[in-house]
Amino acid sequence: MRASVLTRTLRDKWRSFRWWCVGILAFVALYGSVFPSLHGNKSLDNLIKSYPQALKGFVGFGGNLDIGSGAGYLGTEVFSFWGPIVFLAAAIAAGAGAIAGEEERGTLDLLLSLPISRVRCLLEKLAALVCEVVALGIVLWLLLVIVSAVAGMGVSTANLAATTIALILLALMFGSLALAIGAATGRRALAIGLSATLAVAADVLNALAPLASWLDSAKLVSPFYYYSHSDTLRHGLNGTDALVLLAIGLVAACVAPIVFARRDLSTS
Amino acid sequence: MTAVIRAEGLTKFYGASRGISGLSLVVEPGEVFGFLGPNGAGKTTTIRLMLDLIRPTAGLLEVFGLDVRKQSVAVRSRAGYLPGDLHLYERLTPREYLRYVAALRGLEGLGEGEALSERFELELDRPIKALSKGNRQKVGLVQAFLHRPDLLLLDEPTAGLDPLVQQTFNELLREVVAEGRTVFLSSHILSEVQRLADRVAIIREGSLELVEAVETLRARAFVHVEATFAQSPPQEAFASLPGVRELERRGPVVLLALEGSADPLIKALARYEVLALDSHEADLEDVFLTLYREGSAGAS
Repeated sequence: MRASVLTRTLRDKWRSFRWWCVGILAFVALYGSVFPSLHGNKSLDNLIKSYPQALKGFVGFGGNLDIGSGAGYLGTEVFSFWGPIVFLAAAIAAGAGAIAGEEERGTLDLLLSLPISRVRCLLEKLAALVCEVVALGIVLWLLLVIVSAVAGMGVSTANLAATTIALILLALMFGSLALAIGAATGRRALAIGLSATLAVAADVLNALAPLASWLDSAKLVSPFYYYSHSDTLRHGLNGTDALVLLAIGLVAACVAPIVFARRDLSTS
Repeated sequence: MTAVIRAEGLTKFYGASRGISGLSLVVEPGEVFGFLGPNGAGKTTTIRLMLDLIRPTAGLLEVFGLDVRKQSVAVRSRAGYLPGDLHLYERLTPREYLRYVAALRGLEGLGEGEALSERFELELDRPIKALSKGNRQKVGLVQAFLHRPDLLLLDEPTAGLDPLVQQTFNELLREVVAEGRTVFLSSHILSEVQRLADRVAIIREGSLELVEAVETLRARAFVHVEATFAQSPPQEAFASLPGVRELERRGPVVLLALEGSADPLIKALARYEVLALDSHEADLEDVFLTLYREGSAGAS
């Protein structure tokens, strides 16, 4: 295949991608090995049942904290804890690096002296971001399918896929945001810092919402609400939630080329 | 025939700071156009405007008769660019990098890159991060030339090149021009531009000072002559010589500016006991100063 900005970017990503995969593998293996000791532990179940609902909502996934069950365990440990951290970190790093990274390293000047438009350059970078996050998602999903079967978690392959898709959409939303901020400003650190701060704020807002009634409607502005509230591990993908995440990501993805095409590129 | 580059009243401000202002010039096909000025004068700004990397505040800028903003992709497909501040993909080898550039230009393989690399004796398969500054500059030159562009925009192209490679570069430029292609060459080194260019524009503090054929400029260039005498010669000893100005006197050391033939000065010097004699080509600043002096004299 003839090289393009997309294939070149993917090839450059391959090195770091392998390390992200190693990390995911290590985490999934660790969680899989711990699950059997929690599964069917009656005293743990009773302890968790005695927790107030607000706390379960704060820590758990979709309001559930029954870590003795497969869905509760994966929801709490994987999909509301390290899964978002790993996927958002990967997506935000890739998004911020896409334009702002090249601009800061000084390679963007030569790239855009070639006969490709800025919009095309940015869209190919965006496509590379999507490929990377989707590939990470497929790796996570496959590993979870294996671990769920081996450790007897009893979560369906379809529901694991649904939850992974939600995680991919969440990560892509923040990745596109980082890409847009980087494309608008040319500053990678700013793109990472701002996107990560917004992600943490959105997560905290969604987590605190069940604890304070006055926050209850505020959670609707948090992407994490659309990611987690419908408990996709038990009920499968919620189309509306997925569309909301997709729509926010698309807004960022549409704004990025517009602002990028209008401004001066900086010299390093 | 349409001009390759046409700028009229081209102006670029960066916020409050100066870029270039009111720049007008025309570059014809098949010429090497030298763009001369000290660092920070606006040379890089002008070139980056042509590639649509930055946008003009005001004025008109056309390359190949195309609007550099609306038809930037078409302009860039016919232009080759060597930035003054070259940054390459460190992890790639020159071969991987050049293949990427060629592919984005719609070419198979390396385009002309293979032949050019051979000419510059560039090693294609060592990572760019392991290359010396001179070798990186070769990579930059090869990527600028590999699609046989109609216009070369070269920003300080010989920085870091050893003299032998510079010679190869000079030959390449001559071939390019012989084929009717055009070179826009920016530099802060007068001798480099004099050697390579047909016409020269001098830019200072964002404004064009003059556009002149190199031949004309060469006639105006002068040398500095520093003579150390055994005894201080009389004050008026060299004042009346044609083409000679006395710039400075420190005891028995006299600094003179010489324009044109050296013969009258040599004969005048010979009348005194000269202990040491040093002469060197005036640098760009000196030429500027002379031009200004003439400019203001002409205006008054």
